Amino acid sequence: MQILTQLIFSGIALGMIYAVIAFGYQLTFATSDTLNFGQGDALMLGALVGLTLVTLGVNYWLMIPLVCLFGAVQGAVVERIGVRPAIKIKSEFGWIMSTIALGIIFKNVAENVWGRDDLKFPSPLPEAPIKFLNANVLPMEILVVVGAILMMLAVELFNRRSIYGKAVVATFNDRDAAKLMGINTGLVITFSYALSSLTAAFAGVLIAPLTLTGATMGAVLGLKAFAVAIIGGLTSGMGIILGGIILGIAETTTGFYLSTGYKDVPGLVLLLIVLAVRPAGLFGKTAIKKV
Amino acid sequence: MLFRFKLLALTGAVAFCAGAFAADPIKIGVDGPFTGGSSSMGVSMRDGVRLATEEINKSGGVLGRQIQLVERDDEAKNERGVQIAQEFINKEKVVAVVGYINTGVALASQRFFQEAKIPVLNNVATGSIITHQFDKEPENYVFRNAAHDSIQAPMIVEEAVTRRGFKKVAILADSTNYGQLGREDLEKALKAKGITPVAVEKFNIKDVDMTAQLLKAKEAGAEAVLTYGIGPELAQIANGMTKLGWKVPMVGSWTLSMANFIDNAGPGGDGARMPQTFIQEPTTPKRKAFIASYLGSFKPKNNRIDSPVSAAQGYDSIYLLAAAIKQANSTEGPKILAALEDLKTPVEGVVTTYTKPFAKGDHDAITANIPVFGEVKGGRVNYANADDMKKAATVQLKNNAANDALLKP
Repeated sequence: MQILTQLIFSGIALGMIYAVIAFGYQLTFATSDTLNFGQGDALMLGALVGLTLVTLGVNYWLMIPLVCLFGAVQGAVVERIGVRPAIKIKSEFGWIMSTIALGIIFKNVAENVWGRDDLKFPSPLPEAPIKFLNANVLPMEILVVVGAILMMLAVELFNRRSIYGKAVVATFNDRDAAKLMGINTGLVITFSYALSSLTAAFAGVLIAPLTLTGATMGAVLGLKAFAVAIIGGLTSGMGIILGGIILGIAETTTGFYLSTGYKDVPGLVLLLIVLAVRPAGLFGKTAIKKV
Repeated sequence: MLFRFKLLALTGAVAFCAGAFAADPIKIGVDGPFTGGSSSMGVSMRDGVRLATEEINKSGGVLGRQIQLVERDDEAKNERGVQIAQEFINKEKVVAVVGYINTGVALASQRFFQEAKIPVLNNVATGSIITHQFDKEPENYVFRNAAHDSIQAPMIVEEAVTRRGFKKVAILADSTNYGQLGREDLEKALKAKGITPVAVEKFNIKDVDMTAQLLKAKEAGAEAVLTYGIGPELAQIANGMTKLGWKVPMVGSWTLSMANFIDNAGPGGDGARMPQTFIQEPTTPKRKAFIASYLGSFKPKNNRIDSPVSAAQGYDSIYLLAAAIKQANSTEGPKILAALEDLKTPVEGVVTTYTKPFAKGDHDAITANIPVFGEVKGGRVNYANADDMKKAATVQLKNNAANDALLKP
């Protein structure tokens, strides 16, 4: 029993790492039907900028808002350069290539600025584990879970309560109608990209003390997060959290009970099943696309 | 017009003579990952190579000619290695090549040198097969002065099972060629001692969570964890152990001495042990001089060479090559090959004094008696056994009998 709790706790911690990254995919999809495939690289940039600030002597907690600001600017740049031209000409696929291209450029820049080695991100919390229900948990893992949930709640609240958030939702529901109602949909889309990279940068500094930091950290994590976004549903914030937890627990338990060589398989099988049975994701709203 | 033609002929002749007299430098290719996950090894190796080259050039070079290094970053990618090999052969026309950190890159690249009859001296890559890839051909142009995996694995088992008495061990290896070939070697060596590992687990490059692997080892009652992987993931294993509050000794391949393992694992990495051909301690005058000039020239952080083993082996590889070129009195590949296989004068290196380091059919200079066990402590690698440090002043010479003794149960 103790082992199962340990596996579940580690799975939740791992799943929340995936979920915070996946959340960014959901934000841009909600407004513009496009995804930032450079999400993993936005995460990496956030973590590395954070690391630089911390080594310069900035306190971890003070550094977070600065990194968020950096993430927002970076996201806006991606939208202006990569996505807007594609949306303007109503290209179905242009944005895929341009966000991937920008991601690669960011990675190369990071390799030149920070080198390609994995660096240690100093942990702001003690590194000794805490006993909880007979299993060990790192304080940093708790911070990731709490931080991720708070971030998602904040974004959801913003969307539901504030007038600006309503503009975001309106843009999602019907971009053309929203435009006719006087909403500057272009600005809303830029904003959603800024917000999405902001969450990625925040996720980066949140998980960096657990994962090691380096120019290549975004690649595998970004891909896993994409799987989470598909499983949970690209239209549902709650679905993303549950999707992350499902994938995380699937990985740790298969690793233990089946074989560590196959630990990535069940999550991906689940992905295939979800795509076949519920293409909108486990918790996503099925939308009818009018052609 | 006639005058002009004469002038042209004259300048041409002068230029030709000048070219012959000033003696072209001897070009040696240096290939390694100078960026990326294995860069701590690549850069230390390159710096060791540079140091040796500078010393040789200062004292007049080889055959009256200076050595010129052509350095290329293979980024630990097989395809980059292949491109560089072709550039070395066709464009740079190098005389010989030193380097290679990653077994995969070495295997992909060296077939081109074999065809072009250019000797390759592997100074870091440890895959057992590297020096045996061309065993069937009449001449094998691949040499090595690093401790290969088929002696490292039995050494790890010897340390964990015989010396420290752990009977229940778990193997954690990464899913790359390096990790899986190493795992096979470990299982073979354990079998020779009549031991079956209680758990054999795999992990991927860039994995961030090792809970499942470690819990399996823990539940199986492992008293020690034997590892075959590279720095960042090994650090995640050490961090995972801290998290689970389960601390057993880590014994593994020499990669446990990588700077990115030591730095990322922090105190959790203390106590990890691995075979090392060189430990940064001034135990002989030669080693003292090497450490002093390395620290002086490259000024590494905290006076710690990032990968002392790579630096020392890189340094030695150039001296071995220079000795062979001198003896061959030529820069032609087949003649250097013949000289390497029959070096008349001993070469005093940092790792050992190379007396007959290579022979036909035996292209590995390091035998099981040369490496010692290192232990991570306080952010650097020290001698694991005090006895080894005392004995370190006597340089261990190559001894093939030591390999046989280790490999026979």
